[in-house]
Amino acid sequence: MAFALPVIILELALLAIPIGQAVYYSFTRWDGIQSTWIGTANYQRLFGDPNFWRVVLNNVILLAAVPFAILIPLLVAYLLNEHVLGWRFFRSAYFLPTAISWVVIGMVAIRVFAVEGILNHLLAAIGLNIQTDLLSGEYSAMVAVAITFIWSVFGTNTIIFITGMATLDREVYEAARVDGASGFTTFRKITIPLLMRFVQFAFILTLITAFTALFSLIFIMTGGGPGFGSTTLEFYVYQQGFTVGAFGYAAAIGIVLFVVVFGISLAQLRLFRSRLD
Amino acid sequence: MDPRLRRRASRLVMFLILCVVVVIMLFPFVLMIVTSLRSKDQYIAGSGFSLDSWQQLFVQMPVFQQLLNSSLVTAGGVALILVVSTTGGYAFSKLTFKGSGLVFLAILSGMMVPVQSIIIPVYVDIVNVAKAHVDVLGLDFAVNQVFGINKLLSAIVVYAALGAPFATYLMTTYYRGIPTELVEASVMDGASYWQIFRRVMLPLAIPAITTVAVLQVIQIWDDLLVGLLFLQTPAVRTITVGLAVLQNGRVVSIPLLMAGSLVSALPAIIVYLIFQRNLIQGLTMGVNK
Repeated sequence: MAFALPVIILELALLAIPIGQAVYYSFTRWDGIQSTWIGTANYQRLFGDPNFWRVVLNNVILLAAVPFAILIPLLVAYLLNEHVLGWRFFRSAYFLPTAISWVVIGMVAIRVFAVEGILNHLLAAIGLNIQTDLLSGEYSAMVAVAITFIWSVFGTNTIIFITGMATLDREVYEAARVDGASGFTTFRKITIPLLMRFVQFAFILTLITAFTALFSLIFIMTGGGPGFGSTTLEFYVYQQGFTVGAFGYAAAIGIVLFVVVFGISLAQLRLFRSRLD
Repeated sequence: MDPRLRRRASRLVMFLILCVVVVIMLFPFVLMIVTSLRSKDQYIAGSGFSLDSWQQLFVQMPVFQQLLNSSLVTAGGVALILVVSTTGGYAFSKLTFKGSGLVFLAILSGMMVPVQSIIIPVYVDIVNVAKAHVDVLGLDFAVNQVFGINKLLSAIVVYAALGAPFATYLMTTYYRGIPTELVEASVMDGASYWQIFRRVMLPLAIPAITTVAVLQVIQIWDDLLVGLLFLQTPAVRTITVGLAVLQNGRVVSIPLLMAGSLVSALPAIIVYLIFQRNLIQGLTMGVNK
């Protein structure tokens, strides 16, 4: 018991009690010093707040990016698993961005999506005469964030899938080849079903990253704008809390985010369990 | 077509696709390096190279101070995480007590708490605790001398609390793989639980400890939000926060920002290159259990 105390005290003081406080303060008007109980007023205001729904939409856009963040790494991992020339180098190179902060990634992403940026240069180079300006569009800014996000989690997910594929039996593939199955058929009919456990794990990890770890990326790339164009739930908490100073309202948004993330995690656990049984 | 030839061709296509992906993944590094080697004017003109922006960086930003701050915060956070996760993991795996399963689950659920959901109460709590005065050996001691906003220690404990649940999970599962007989035999020999922990469990857990440390070093080094809130003045900022502030300021020299990005990214990249294996182990540990 004594050995468990340090971690218990730490988590109690800085995680358990604060989440309790957040729940309590979400029912108050709070400026950090004085709080007044106002019942469910914060939540009523929140659900009637058009900006909140705009923010939720941005989270939905991120949700829509998750399948891409899974499928692309899955395909690339499949290719890597064929062990073509230099596959070890490829693997290391793909994983390298994992070491880099969202701040740095955001800095580079701005240079890619800017009007005078790399994307437009590329488009011009292949003869397409389109001037994109994703970061200033009310909806396209979120798309730029989502693309950057897909790029960032690519390495992590690829590694997860390679690990998964290493556990698969080579003989199954040989049998499939003997039966005359094409590369794509084996990928779809054998690799994906056998990898389901890893796909689920990557899915949940990616989704939670999308909803809770993109603060810095958004802070650097767009500052949440234009308007609320790229403000997600987690960014909205920061904005309402530390920019506006509405701590009670921000706490309520934080609780909504907590419920969403906790709900996703629990649903995932359930899914995991039922598959194992 | 000859099947062998077809196989060769398909492998060539695969190789080419993988090459394209490498370009996409490594291009930001090339961009940062090339851009940082230009002055503002050279960048606009698109030709010529100089170390101008690198010199400017050290003028505009206290680079060494902020690298030191980042190192102190990261080292402190990781040390605290290692202390609580190795002891906690030992307790939850080998010294199970009444209700330990439930406590373990509660700590695991900490992994699912988004930092934004707790950061406001944590911030206010730390401000309040820092106002306190304590009596130390008859002397009045103001807590805010060591703890509070703009004190490295406050960021350290927050990082530790955020990283500890996953670290404890990793350590517990690792310790579960070590035979309990080893502990029992040592108890027979008259060793205390503390001695067993120091002489048996810790040395055996070096691989898991390395994994936890590497994951957390990168996590803490790269973080912005906690640093932004708890380390606000230039003297205590971490390099990641310093860089974000620089970008939000009036200086808009892109080569300068790229030089700063490289400086902030380099330590984490070095850690990555040395401990790549441990990082991969840590990331994939969640699925294999």
